[in-house]
Amino acid sequence: MSAESSSLGYGLGLRTPYYQAILEQRPAVDWFEIISENYLVEGGKPLYYLDAIGEHYPLVMHGVSLSIGGPHQLDRDYLRRLKRLAQRVQPAWISDHLCWSRGNAHQLHDLLPLPYTEESLQHVVARVRQVQDVLERPLVLENVSSYLRSADDQFSEWQFLAALSELSGCELLLDVNNVYVSARNHGFEPWDFISGLPKQRIRQLHLAGHSDYGSYLIDTHDQPVSDPVWQLYQRTLRHLGPVATLLERDDHYPVLNELLGELEQARAYAAVALQEYRPCA
Amino acid sequence: MRLNDWQRELEAYLLGGDPTASPALRASLLGSPALSAEQGLAIYHNAYRARLLEALRGDYPAVHGWLGDTEFDSLAGAYIAAHPSRHFSLRWLGAELANFIDTYLVPAQAAPLGELARLEWAFGLAFDAAEADPLTLAQVASLPAEAWPNLQVRLLPSVHWQLCRHNSLALWRASKAQDAFPASTALEQAQVCLIWRHGLVSQYRSLEPDEAAALHGMAVAGWSFAELCAHLHQLGQEAPLQAATWLRQWLGDGLLQRHGG
Repeated sequence: MSAESSSLGYGLGLRTPYYQAILEQRPAVDWFEIISENYLVEGGKPLYYLDAIGEHYPLVMHGVSLSIGGPHQLDRDYLRRLKRLAQRVQPAWISDHLCWSRGNAHQLHDLLPLPYTEESLQHVVARVRQVQDVLERPLVLENVSSYLRSADDQFSEWQFLAALSELSGCELLLDVNNVYVSARNHGFEPWDFISGLPKQRIRQLHLAGHSDYGSYLIDTHDQPVSDPVWQLYQRTLRHLGPVATLLERDDHYPVLNELLGELEQARAYAAVALQEYRPCA
Repeated sequence: MRLNDWQRELEAYLLGGDPTASPALRASLLGSPALSAEQGLAIYHNAYRARLLEALRGDYPAVHGWLGDTEFDSLAGAYIAAHPSRHFSLRWLGAELANFIDTYLVPAQAAPLGELARLEWAFGLAFDAAEADPLTLAQVASLPAEAWPNLQVRLLPSVHWQLCRHNSLALWRASKAQDAFPASTALEQAQVCLIWRHGLVSQYRSLEPDEAAALHGMAVAGWSFAELCAHLHQLGQEAPLQAATWLRQWLGDGLLQRHGG
């Protein structure tokens, strides 16, 4: 069974070019996903708009700096600030990525993949437990798109995510576009990935666009969702039932109405797909 | 390869200038027909640089505009190599650029460029500085007469104090308006430029030397209103009026918070 009872509906990423339009138009969006780091500031416009928009819409916190798989100590100051932001925002959940973004000495500002080994599994499980203790809620972790694969892998990425979720109690943010991109780049079947995840652990889906470089893809989040990813999304919903869906756009921002149109597409695709969903099938 | 060693290898690779990986790192990776390990490594290597450069260009549009793409990217590249990122947010990557310019360029170039960088960074600091309730004219006007001599104030958290010896403000304004940059010149007299946030909007104002000294005295050095008047002794009987006029201006600007009392 999927997390049907808590499906938040269809959301958009909250981005600065849309702040004013959101307050003025109050668009038909079920929720907004914020990039947590943008609001770990002391004052000013970011927090003003966060509070104003949060009065009218449910919010979800999505971070990029947790570096759950990193070699460094967990950043306690970052976690404290994240928790303080969560007290302000009251998010439906807090998410980040299965990756590392900081080395021993320096911040690397990327979502770097991990080898899928017993060693890295134990490393990440231990850190997820610590983070969940601090935040006092389950962490939701997203599958990243990756452009490297370790020769030492003992698991597939989806086996790793399933085991991580089982052992740590974390939930999963399934980025359908990232699955598609990584599947093309590394040569696996996207459906093997999605069907290999524990259904009941999937809290949220991401949809986004990518850029095609011929033989490989890069997850640029700056394009509309592509047709193959829509198809994969529909197949995912037939399999899972309703799951909170977020449309991500991080660059080449169109006018808000264009994104709202794309979100309507997501609703329409979902409506068709869910007609074929059979719980406990 | 152990996880720690692999991560150390990849970190060194990303921070290094060479897009070719060490043999040990390369041997630890699998490519695919669609994406070779070399291509994958290059994607991350390029992305690291591109992301940091984009952050610096975003934080320093006037410095970027003045230097042009090639020179700015060269300066930024040298800066990043000397100051790899240590904060989880890219928002802080550029914090040391002005200081770096001072040591990296010859003094004749460094002085105006460093000053412009400091000015731009101050605008960024004011943008998301901590909230604080400004002391208002109405609040001060409602004080009993006997409270005025001991009245003390401090600058609000968003207020930044920049001493300009060059026409950096003119350069900054040109960048903001997307006008042609004027030539860089030294000012006849150094000027204080205040940058702060009033409500949600960033503000700036240049101060004449007398006003700057008065504001510094009261809001930084901690003079009471009476002490400010005493410091204006050369104005004689006009001192309290001048002090009150300035105080009214600063309160209207939204620069001050009450201290003590």
